[in-house]
This record gives sequence, structure tokens and C-alpha cells, in this order.
Amino acid sequence: MEMDKVLDVQNLHAVFRINKKEYEVLHDISFSVRRNETVCIVGESGCGKSVTTLCVMGLLPKNGRVTSGSIKLDNTELTGLPQKEIRKFRGRKIGMIFQEPMTALNPLLTVGYQMRENLILHRGVDKKKANEMAIEYLTKVGIANPEQRLKQFPFQLSGGLRQRVLIAMVLSAQPDLLIADEPTTALDVTIQKQVLALLNHLKKEMNAGIMFITHDLGVVAEIADRIVVLYAGRKVEEGTVEQIFRNPLHPYTIGLINAVPDVEKEEFVIQPIPGMFPNITEEIPGCRFNPRCPHAAECALCTKEAPKMTEAEPGHFAACHLITAGGAQHD
Amino acid sequence: MTEQRKPLLQLRKLKKHFPVDRNRVLKAVEDVSFTVYEGEKFGVVGESGCGKSTLGRTILQLYEASGGSCVYYGKSIQELNPRYIQDEIDKLKDYQKKAGDYYQKSLAVDAEAEKLRAQTADLDPDGNKSDEAKYIRLRKEIAKKEFESKELRKDASRQLREGSRTVGSLILCKDIDKIAELFTKAENEVRTVHQTVLKHNKIVNQIEQNEVLLDQKANVDKWIQDLEAKGSLNDQEEFELADLKAIKKNTASLDTAKLQAEIEALKPQAEQLKAEIEEHGRIEMGYRNEAFEKYRGKDILPLTELTMDPAYQAKLDRNYETGINLGKLTKQEMRSIRPDLQMVFQDPAASLDPRQSVGKAVEEVLQIHTRMSRDLRREKTLSLLHQVDLKAEHYYSYPNSLSGGMKQRVGIARAIALDPSFIVLDEAVSALDVSVQAQILQLLNRLQEEKNLTYLFITHDLGVVKHFCDRVMVMYLGRVCELSSCDDLFKKPLHPYTQSLLDAVPRMRLNQEENDDEILQGEVPSPINPPSGCPFHTRCRKCMDICKETMPKYREVEPGRFVACHLYDKEGNQNA
Repeated sequence: MEMDKVLDVQNLHAVFRINKKEYEVLHDISFSVRRNETVCIVGESGCGKSVTTLCVMGLLPKNGRVTSGSIKLDNTELTGLPQKEIRKFRGRKIGMIFQEPMTALNPLLTVGYQMRENLILHRGVDKKKANEMAIEYLTKVGIANPEQRLKQFPFQLSGGLRQRVLIAMVLSAQPDLLIADEPTTALDVTIQKQVLALLNHLKKEMNAGIMFITHDLGVVAEIADRIVVLYAGRKVEEGTVEQIFRNPLHPYTIGLINAVPDVEKEEFVIQPIPGMFPNITEEIPGCRFNPRCPHAAECALCTKEAPKMTEAEPGHFAACHLITAGGAQHD
Repeated sequence: MTEQRKPLLQLRKLKKHFPVDRNRVLKAVEDVSFTVYEGEKFGVVGESGCGKSTLGRTILQLYEASGGSCVYYGKSIQELNPRYIQDEIDKLKDYQKKAGDYYQKSLAVDAEAEKLRAQTADLDPDGNKSDEAKYIRLRKEIAKKEFESKELRKDASRQLREGSRTVGSLILCKDIDKIAELFTKAENEVRTVHQTVLKHNKIVNQIEQNEVLLDQKANVDKWIQDLEAKGSLNDQEEFELADLKAIKKNTASLDTAKLQAEIEALKPQAEQLKAEIEEHGRIEMGYRNEAFEKYRGKDILPLTELTMDPAYQAKLDRNYETGINLGKLTKQEMRSIRPDLQMVFQDPAASLDPRQSVGKAVEEVLQIHTRMSRDLRREKTLSLLHQVDLKAEHYYSYPNSLSGGMKQRVGIARAIALDPSFIVLDEAVSALDVSVQAQILQLLNRLQEEKNLTYLFITHDLGVVKHFCDRVMVMYLGRVCELSSCDDLFKKPLHPYTQSLLDAVPRMRLNQEENDDEILQGEVPSPINPPSGCPFHTRCRKCMDICKETMPKYREVEPGRFVACHLYDKEGNQNA
């Protein structure tokens, strides 16, 4: 079991310095990604999901740093490595797909140039071979007449095609870990469906782990094997898709699921989570969710002590005092 | 049920074309017709580039429509007194004459085509080579003539349609001069009513302002006490306190008795003006009814071959507009009707000025459109902030200190500031997180119930539409695919595009079976160069030969359900 963990993040803490004060943006985050598995990191904006990916990629901005914890990629410790070393992993062992495909491609260079550059750098092949491989990978991601596409510039491609090109580029380096940061948010639903189907299909053949960042629970249901729910820089729940959708334990997860106006639901009463998402500069004692939690009044510990991760059923963890106190009692 | 509801906005074949270069246009919105009823939440769904945003903006006349009409019923003609109506009345005779001329021309062209056809009868295209060439040439010419004649007839009926907007089927009558006279008389009454309405509103405003001043004078001490009792104040409360003290200073010298007396004196005046308004309104209606009773269906001119057909007359009668045609208003008139028609934008941050406090941003709306005094504006702004669940202290905040949801609330407060009847929500919740999105939807629902608002909800999120809207319209490449009640659409989508769109929506459902055939392939074609026939045929799973050639007609397949698809042509005919 240990062996096939591609990414193993343990007790990760990270801080941002704002106005000479340090604020904790990630607190005790642990999760792992295995080969041939898609792990979805879910949460609202500001919950720390993008910061987590930045930590893994070693791309934190200058005012941010990892204070403790470990990030292991195939048993190689990434934290504390100098930038020069991390560069060997970035792009080759860890591939990343971004939300906005236009900004991830260079508008002045042809698709072919950018794909070849990638192949020459990471796979060490010559230009001719790189061209052949580029065509091969473009075909793999379902792009018709790849020879012609290679000669085109990014602005000549539609949003869906650009995202496919990016996926082909990332795949061509044969990474062990693929990080997809909201790759379908900027796309229309019909195109989103195509890209998700492509990712699901590719997962089977590329033998890598996928870390998928999204805020859309519908997308999660379609692509994820396991889910990690983050709230205000803390992990609140982790489990398989089945466990989380059938039996969500943390009040935040429940609220999130109830708030989605899903097409599947026949009857739907709009049920927002009351209150506002906390600012990182805000100090909240105890559980970070307690000001918005419907059960906070029932439990004396919530405002005093931060809850610990508890295993409610095999592989299903949640950090809530109500579960620690004896089983899930949410209705 | 549909008949009983009062229409608020009626669109007929609305078009919006953007010029791309000298010869090409981008048909962003093409022939969109629908009616929005009062108090309804009308959804418009489609992928990006389908023209849904353009549609919203064209309705609000932020873009000038390239064709068709958009009639608004939320305000009476008397209240606005638009100039275009008199212009239209003056043009009635012209319309009639032009329609006749066009029709005569088309008859002439028909005769020419007939002559050519007679020539072809003598030829033998199968045997003789020279005959064959001539035959082909003649056929081409005949086709050209036929097309010309068809276009001329269309022009003729277009003229009549334009005229019927002002007088219904009376446009066909011989005594058009007398009809125009009656309508001009009615129009004069409208003008009088309009003047009176303006006077009336001024008096009502004066009364309201006096009442606020009295209220402030009576309560300002208590408000200050309440605030001071709090002890430690934050910055925003400090501001509030300073403001209240200023109010106290201003109101100190007011003469309560005089204000009260003014109110008492103004009230009967308002009553009297109201009676006048009603009286003139009655006279106006009298003229209109007289015109219809005297002339409807009598002395009809044979302008075109259709004019004697009662069905056609009834159709023209339906064109008769009792509302305001937004496309024909002058800029100034449009500006005075804008308070009724508001918009909330997608990006809450971009729609607010970062250097303007929230209070100023909302107050600005009142400053431009009303003549409220400063105190009254402040009062109103605070109550608006309260209505959208913001605190009074936010009056002094700047947008950078607000979260996305709060910014969107400010946008909504701005939109409802002038008591509109119709709001276009252009992707108003798309940029928000799910839990905040639900909060805003809840707020919109509540406001709608309280103020009897009507929404045009533009979105790409089918989930939100399903649970928020009453009726929904699906658009593709600037055209309507399907229009139906929300329940029906999600239970049984008729148009293949709607079906694929529904399939593509990510659902919170486990163990989904992946079926690659079901995924809609390809991408939306360029609207500059749309496919021939049905715009969706390039991606449609059920594409037939006819789809590639002819544009499907937009028809009612079931009561209240409109679809533009060839699949339902046959059924439609069978049912008829």
C-alpha cells in the first residue's frame, strides 16, 4: 500500500506574511494520492486549496512559506529542497493543468513549438522525434488533424481545444502526478463534459495520480475516487466519493452539498450556509466552522478546542466534536 | 392560465446584428420572440456565445436592436408620453400607400414572370442544345423574379405590420385620415395627462420629504443616544454619529407646525390632480373606442390579397400595442423609463467603483433619477442596505473590504433602489461560491415576493435555472431552441440540444456510467459563419437531411411549449 503512494503530504503547515504579521493559511493538512487514483480537493474560494497545490509545486509567493510538515513525491522529500532541485520535478514528475488555458500557453509561439520544447526538455529527444511524439499525444487527447494544429497559434484554437493541448503537453512528460487546478471552470458545460471524459479515460492508461482542485461538487462526483474537503485552511473531512456523498459527516460538508442547486434533485429548497466565510486574518477559537455551524449550540467544546481528525468508518475521516463525542448525530 | 397573467414585456422577432466587416454581420440575436409575464422568473440558458447576454442588453436598449420590437407594459403610455406615437399616427397614411405600392409592384413582377414562363413552354430543353441554354437562362430569371415578388410582398406586409402597431387592423380602412384624427385627439389627451402626472408626483414627493424631516426631528435624539449607549464605536459608527449630529443641527431650527400645515395643504391638491388624471384618461379611451367601433372591419381597402381575410385582420389587431415600444423611444425618454428596467451584472467587483463608498454608490442612483433631498436619500439608502441584509455601517465601507457575496448585494441594492418592475440578472450568481450563491438566490426570491419583481435570469447553470426559474428559454447561436416551463423542460426536454445540454451538466450522482456516445461532440460554430439550415445540425445526434437545408420553424408543440426543430414538424402538423 505504502509503495504506490505518488504524493504523500503529512502535517503541512504554511503561513503568509501580511503587513509584517504571519497568518496561518494551511493548518495540519495531510493527504495522499496513489497511482491511478483521482483525489479531489474541494472547498470554497479562500479555503487553501490553491495554496496546497502551490506548496506541492514549490511555487509559493515570496511572502509565503511552509513552516512544518512534509511533502513526499515518490519517497523524495520536497520541502526544503532548493529551487534548482525542485525544478527537476516540476513539469517532468509533476504536471499541472491550469484553469485558464489561454494564459498557460504563450500566444507568440505555435502550439507545435511549445509542445516540442517540452518534449526536448523533459524527454531528451531530438526535434524530429519530438514532432512525431507531439502528433501522437495530440491524437491521444482527441484532436483531429494534429499536424495542422501544430502549426497554429493558441488564439486560433477554441477554449476546449486549448485545454486539450495543455493536457497533451502535460502528458507528454509522463508525470507521476498530475495536478489539475479547476481545469474546466472556464469551459462551457458540453466542453467540460468532453474534457472530464478525456481525463477519466487517460487516467487508466497513464499510470499516474491525479490531484484535482475544484469547487464544483457535480464535477467531483464525475471524476473523483477520494475527496478531501478543506475549510479555512483546515481539512474537515476526507473519504471516498461514496462515503462523502452518501454519508457526509462534517456540518460544513453537509451544508455544501445541500447548497448546490443540482439538476438531479427533484425538490430543492435553497439552503445557504448562514454567515460569511472567515478572513484569514480573523482569529476564531476552537473549530473554525463554529460561527456558521448549526450544531455549535449543542456542543460546548466547539468554541474552545479545535476538533481532531477521527475515523468514523474505514477510510472516512472528519474533524468535528460531534463525531468524537460518539457517532454522527446529524439529521 | 397563460391568458390570465399580465404580460410585462413582449418581444417580437427581436434581432441584434453586429457588423464584422463591410459584407458580413454577426447575428448575435436572431428572431427571438417571447413574452415575460408580471412576477415571473424567466430563465435564459445557453453556452457562451449563444447571445443570451446580448439579448438582455438589447431588451434594456443598451444595444440598439437591429429589428423587431420589444414592448414594455409595466408603465402606461400616459406616464411617459413618448413622442414616437404621434409620429406613427402621422405616418399611417404613408404605411398604407407604401403597402399598396409594394403589392402592385409585386403583381407587376408576377406578370413578368408569367410571361417568361410562357416563353419556356415553347422550348424543348431535352432535345435541342440551343433551347437548353435558353431554358436554363429563363428558369434562372423566373426564379429571380419570383424571389423579387416574394420580397416585395414581405415589404408590403411589413408596412402594414408597422402601422397596425398603432391602430391595429384599422390600418386597412379607407378612412385612415379620420382614424388618424381620432388617434391624434387621444394623443393630445395623453399629453395633458402626462403633464398632470408630473405635477402630481412633485406634490407627492414634497409631502414625503416633509414627513421624513418631521420623523428625523422627532427621533434624532433617540438615535444618537442609542449609538452613544454602545460605548466603544468602530470607525463606521463614528461616521454615522457625526452624520446624525449634523442632522440634528439641521433639523433644530425647523418649524414643525409649518411643515405639518404644508402637508395638510398639499394633500387636497394631490387628490384633485389625481381626479383630473382619471378624467382625461377616460376621454382618451373614449376616442380610441370610438375609432375602433366606427371603423373596425368596415371599408377595407384591397391593399394586398390578404386584407379581406378576417384571420389576417385579427392578426393585425393582435399587433395593436398598448405598451411602450422601447426601441422607438428617444434617448431622453428611455432615460426616464430606465428606473423601471434594471440590471445586475456578473462580476460584482467590476460593477462597483473602488473609490466610491457603498453608500455613495447606492445614493448616486437616487441622485440621478429622483429629486430627493440629501437626507431623504440617506434614509432610503440605509433602508435599501437593510433590505439586502447589509448592515448600516456598510454605508461607509469601500468595495475592497467586502466579500464577493456582499458586493453582489450592493449591486442588487443599486438595482432595486428605484423600485423597478423588471430586472435583468446577467449571470448574477455565476461568480460566487455555492454557499454564497444560495444566499443570493434566497435574497432574490425574497425581494421578488416583497416587491413583485420580474426577473430575466441569464445563466449557463442549468441547476440554478431548475430550482430558481418558472419558465426557461434555451438559446443556441442567437436563436431560440426551446421555450417551456421549467418542470416540463427538465422532465422531458424536446430539442436535441436541450437534451445534450442536460446530459452534460455535472451531477452529484454516484456510479455514473460513462457512455461516450452520449457526450455532445464538437464545439459551437462561429456565429459569423453559421451553418446552413438548423444551426445545431453540425452537432445534432438526430440530424436529418432536411436539417442541413431548411431552418426549422419555431412552433408551439404543446400548450406553452415552443420548439424549433424538424423532429416535431410532423407531429405538429398531425395535431393541427
